[in-house]
Amino acid sequence: MADCDEDEVRKGDDGASCCDGNGGKNLLLYACSGGANVAEIADRIARELMFEGRGAMFCLAGLGAGIDGMIQTAGDADLNVVIDGCDMDCARKIFDNCGLENYIQVKVTDYGIEKVKGARATDDQIAVVMAAVRGTIAKA
Amino acid sequence: MKKIQILGTGCPKCAKLATNAEAAAAALGIEFELEKVTDINDIMRFGVMMTPALAIDGEVKAVGKVPDVEAIKDMLG
Repeated sequence: MADCDEDEVRKGDDGASCCDGNGGKNLLLYACSGGANVAEIADRIARELMFEGRGAMFCLAGLGAGIDGMIQTAGDADLNVVIDGCDMDCARKIFDNCGLENYIQVKVTDYGIEKVKGARATDDQIAVVMAAVRGTIAKA
Repeated sequence: MKKIQILGTGCPKCAKLATNAEAAAAALGIEFELEKVTDINDIMRFGVMMTPALAIDGEVKAVGKVPDVEAIKDMLG
């Protein structure tokens, strides 16, 4: 990241944004980090939204590790979009454990997708959940 | 002595944050050292994803926004 101008969003390889994100709103994206297909769906949606410039994908593990700067980053965001894979609700629980309330949660298995270990996500599945995530963000 | 660090690459908001932080520390009459952290890798080591950000004595207090002087006084206190 080089110098930045006010109100400009910069996205580097790390996905970091400078000054403002998402047209003046700081929207952060967090995805389930599991190994099943639902985690792949969550991850690919978060990345796609990041590459679209809709928000900045951030490190769920960092929050889980209790790194204070990361917790502060999430706490100061205008909105955190938490994409969980299944009913374990790990991502949401990490936010709760950090005392963070400024988030919305979307769960992949709520959209008729079965959690399967060792299976690849399909484009159709991703499209279904992506539509749900977009809708949830739009309402937030 | 308080260590105040402004995390940002040098945009106008970073400068405004530095100005506010200096004003807050001066208003409280505390000794402080102000450092501008401009290297993105150094910024990321704080766990900060959005700039500008403010750290006091190594602890991140605000991210992606410019707190006003009163808010920073609370953070320093």
